[in-house]
Order: sequence, then C-alpha cells, then structure tokens
Amino acid sequence: MSALLEVRNLTKEFPVGADFLGRPLAQLRAVDDISFALEPGETLGFVGESGCGKTTVGRLILRLLAPTSGTILFEGQDITNLTEPEMRPRRRDIQVVFQDPYSSLNPRLMVRDIVGEPLKNFGHSRDQIDQRVAELMRIVGLPPEYMSRYPHAFSGGQRQRIGIARALAVSPKLVVCDEAVSALDVSIQAQILNLLADIQAQFGLTLLFISHNLGVVRHVSHRIAVMYLGRLVELASEDALFEHPLHPYTAALIAAVPEPDPATRGKLAVLPGEIPSPLNPPPGCPFNTRCPKVEARCRAELPEFREVEAGRWVRCHFPG
Amino acid sequence: MSATALEPTVARTKSDFWPKFRRNRNAIAGTIIVTFVVVVAIFARLISPYDYDETDILFTWAHPSPEHLLGTDALGRDILSRLIVGAQVSLTVAVAVLAITLTVGILLGMIAGYFGGKLDSAIMRVVDIIFAFPDIIFAILLASALGPGITTVIISLSVVWWPGIARLTRSLVLQLRTELYVDAAIASGTPPFTILIRHFLPNIVAPLIVRASIGVGFIIMAEATLSFLGIGVQEPRPSWGGMIRDGIVSLRTEPYLALSASTALGLTIIGFNLFGDGLRDILDPRIKDR
Repeated sequence: MSALLEVRNLTKEFPVGADFLGRPLAQLRAVDDISFALEPGETLGFVGESGCGKTTVGRLILRLLAPTSGTILFEGQDITNLTEPEMRPRRRDIQVVFQDPYSSLNPRLMVRDIVGEPLKNFGHSRDQIDQRVAELMRIVGLPPEYMSRYPHAFSGGQRQRIGIARALAVSPKLVVCDEAVSALDVSIQAQILNLLADIQAQFGLTLLFISHNLGVVRHVSHRIAVMYLGRLVELASEDALFEHPLHPYTAALIAAVPEPDPATRGKLAVLPGEIPSPLNPPPGCPFNTRCPKVEARCRAELPEFREVEAGRWVRCHFPG
Repeated sequence: MSATALEPTVARTKSDFWPKFRRNRNAIAGTIIVTFVVVVAIFARLISPYDYDETDILFTWAHPSPEHLLGTDALGRDILSRLIVGAQVSLTVAVAVLAITLTVGILLGMIAGYFGGKLDSAIMRVVDIIFAFPDIIFAILLASALGPGITTVIISLSVVWWPGIARLTRSLVLQLRTELYVDAAIASGTPPFTILIRHFLPNIVAPLIVRASIGVGFIIMAEATLSFLGIGVQEPRPSWGGMIRDGIVSLRTEPYLALSASTALGLTIIGFNLFGDGLRDILDPRIKDR
C-alpha cells in the first residue's frame, strides 16, 4: 500500500508576542505531533473545534506555512523542506478550496483568469487555457460563457464553484478543502458537497476535507480524523467512528450533531468547561479538563496515539 | 456532471465613476484647471507670443499693454511667454519626479510588504531616516550639494518623495496579504513577482493614483521653492519660483512679474489639490483621513 500523502509527527509553533528585542514571548503549538496517511482516492475528514489547528494542518500540507518539525511525504517525496522554487512544480498535484468564497477570488480578475491562473503557471497557451476553463466551468455547473465576468457578478455558491474549478484546473491528485462549505447557506452546502463527491468519483481525486461540522464531514468522508488542541485524538473509518466512538471527545462531538427529528432527540450532552488555552495546555491528556471519564492517570501522563484495532487510532488511556 | 447552479446571477454593476465625478464640484474645478495647465505646458512654444529668452533692453519693466499682455521683466522679456514656458518646466519636473518615485516607491513598498522580514526592516529604516528630515529642507540640502539645475531638482525631490509612496504601498500590500486569493495563487504555483503584478498592483493602484495627483501640488511648490532660492532651474530657462524672486525686488513699483508668477503657481497648486481631493473622494473614500 503506498500512500499518496504521509504526514509524520507534524508540529507547528507560532511565536506569540515580542519583547523589547523582538524575541517571541511564548510559542503557541497550533499543531502538535500529528501523523496520518492518505490513500489515493479517499476522502479524509478533519474535524475539531474552532482553533484546534485543523486549518493549520491544511496550510502546512499546502506548504503555505513551514512546519516547525515533522515530515510531509507526497508520493514518497519529502516536501517538508523544499524551497519555494523547488516546491512550485509539485504544486500542480496539491490544490486548495478555501472557506471564504469572497476573499479567495481576486475581484479585479475575470473568472477566465482566476480559473486559468494555475494553467498559465504550468505553461498552457491562451487557447488551451480558454478551452480548459470552459470545460471546468461545465464540470462545476456554471455556464462557460460566464468566464468573462468578474467575481462580484456571482453569488457565494457560484463563487465557491469557481474556486473548485480553479483547484481542478491542473488535474491535481490531492485537494485540500478548508471549510469549503462553511460560509454557505445550508441548501447551497448540499449542492457543493454533491459536486465535490461527483468530481471525486469522476476524477479519482483524494480529498482532505477540513470542517468543524461533523455532519458535513460524515457526508463526504471515508475516514475521519478528530483533532483537539492541536493533537489528533481519534482516527477511524466513518462507520466505525459514528457507530462506536472510542475517544470521549469524539463521543461528545457526535452527541452534539443536531438531530432533525424531535421525537428521537435526546437531552444534549454538553461538555463542561471551555477549551484550554493552547498557550498553556494542561499536563497529561489535553482533554482531561473536560473529560467525563477523567482519572488520575489522565492528569499525569499524555496517552500515546495508538492503533487499538486495525485502522482505528485513538489517543486515550481508557478508550471505548 | 452536476446540476447547474440554482442561485441567481447578480447583474454586472456599472462603474459609478462618472456619476460621482459629475456631482463633485471640486473635482470638476480641479480638472478644468489641471487640463488648462497641462495643455498650456504641452503647447507652450506654440502659444507663447514671444521667445521666453528674447530680451529688449529698451523696453524693460513695461506695464501690461496689447504687445505685452502681462508686461516685461528687468531684461525686457515678455512675462506671459515666460509664464507659459514656466508651466512646461514645472510640469516636466513633476512628471519626472512622479515617474521616478512611483517606480521606486511601489517596487520597494511591495517588496517590503510582501516578503517582510529583514528586507522589510532594511527598506523601512531607510524610509524612516528620510522621513525624519522635513522634506523641503532635505531637498534644499540635497540640491545645494548637487549644484543647481533641472536635473538636481528632479533628483532631490525624488529622494524626498519616494518614501511616502513606499510606505503607502507597503501598508496597502499588508492589508491585502491576508486575502485568500494570494494564498490560492501561491498554491497554484504563481511566482512571487507575478503575484505582486497580477494580484497586488491592480488592487492598490487607486489610492496610489490619488496620492500621486495630490503630490503634484507639493512637487510644483517644492520646485518653485528651490528655484526661488536659486538652487533650482537656472536662467535663462524660466521657472515660476525664479520669476517670483526676480519680481520681488521691484514688488512696490513693478508688481506684475511677481504677481503673475505667484498667481500662476497658486492656481496650479490649488487646481492639482482640488483634482487630487476629488479623485480621492471618488476612487477611495476610505483614505479620507490620511
């Protein structure tokens, strides 16, 4: 089995504040020792609360940020420490769809130039670009004649389709979807999710789907990774995770997914407390301040991220 | 294939530049003055009734008359002709200074804002050093060190004026740096310089145009100051500053020279300022307080 993307012990620290000489006052560990692998053609969902570091993971894989430590292997090649010019040829394989469909499209460029930008970078001619952009517009469900319009002429959902068309332009192998539907209305979310699923089936894409919305992630993902305070706490197939969550945090997240039928709606189990500050994480298990099953060992010792069953990874002393 | 998008398409909004322009009286007044000065400057040699350096020793300090509409100066040269050619000199300096400062300032400002780090610190410290001197005084210092002449004026005004453009550009770039389309461009493999040209420049050009058009007033004023002090444009080439200096000695008895040159200078500066302010109101209401 050869993974498309393999991430080993990925860590990213951000400097916080600065003293008189400009030295940082503290290091914020946004991503802490994360390891996972992506198989070709699968969708891995990344879920977690706001600020847990899931977007940072996406940006590290895209090499928009340089990791503090750890390794990123893409098709076996170590891309962790490539310089920007060295990285550029690899960029055609890893593309991105961002959360905000407004900020992610340059208001001064026509759709043709936005979607065509990656093509231009990889040496396609003007005619080839126009042809490919028209094809991409059809794939994402927009009339090709709209390509000589500017972004302000489109709605949020349409803009997100343009963003997807741009990501698909150079036929990437991996697309990082960073909260790709979170800014959209629910009805439009469903359209975009179905579009992503269609595209994946059609082109055999591998998706890293980052979202805070477990319901959305469940809809698209084959496997799901759950993050808490910069660390992975559970990684399992979609079925297994929903049927039998092993980490108490996953269980709490699943319990918090809104239930449409009031008859089956139980009492909402709300986690007590707030997320600890990532600047000052608690000793031991990062979840110990809010865990319903906390014991003395959890406060003293950080649990390993271990494989408890085939393909089921969890970071908990007392899983299940 | 997926379903066609269901969302309605917003109609393309028309540019609101002209309707706003028509409602802005300052902008209209400024445009009229600026256009007039520019046309006069371009066709200066054609419309000036005499050569600017044609002397007439028998006819010095002449009062306004049908032959010499604004009279003559101490050497009997026609004041109107010298005013007209003086406009050409002023605008040549302004255009040259703008070309230099916009090129240097935008380039360095974009580099500082985009790349950050040591490069940013180095560029911005130079900017701070130049900013620490009062601009006119620094220009006078430079001009006296370089020796008089029109090239000197252009160089010394460029040196004092590019830091403002660089600082404005940098701040505009920093604002845009967090836009996701910049990240998308990086992720698409667009090289940094192309990102600056394709994604930053078109989005920062409006405030820079405004800044430049307001700056023309300052540049013309500064050129006149240097020429007034005798370290700017040199005789026999006319400049408004030099004409004011020449006229001041006989201001009580023969006021026409100093008055007409000051009026031309004042009107031109007011015109460019009105024009620049009007453009600012129309193009970029956000930077009103800057």
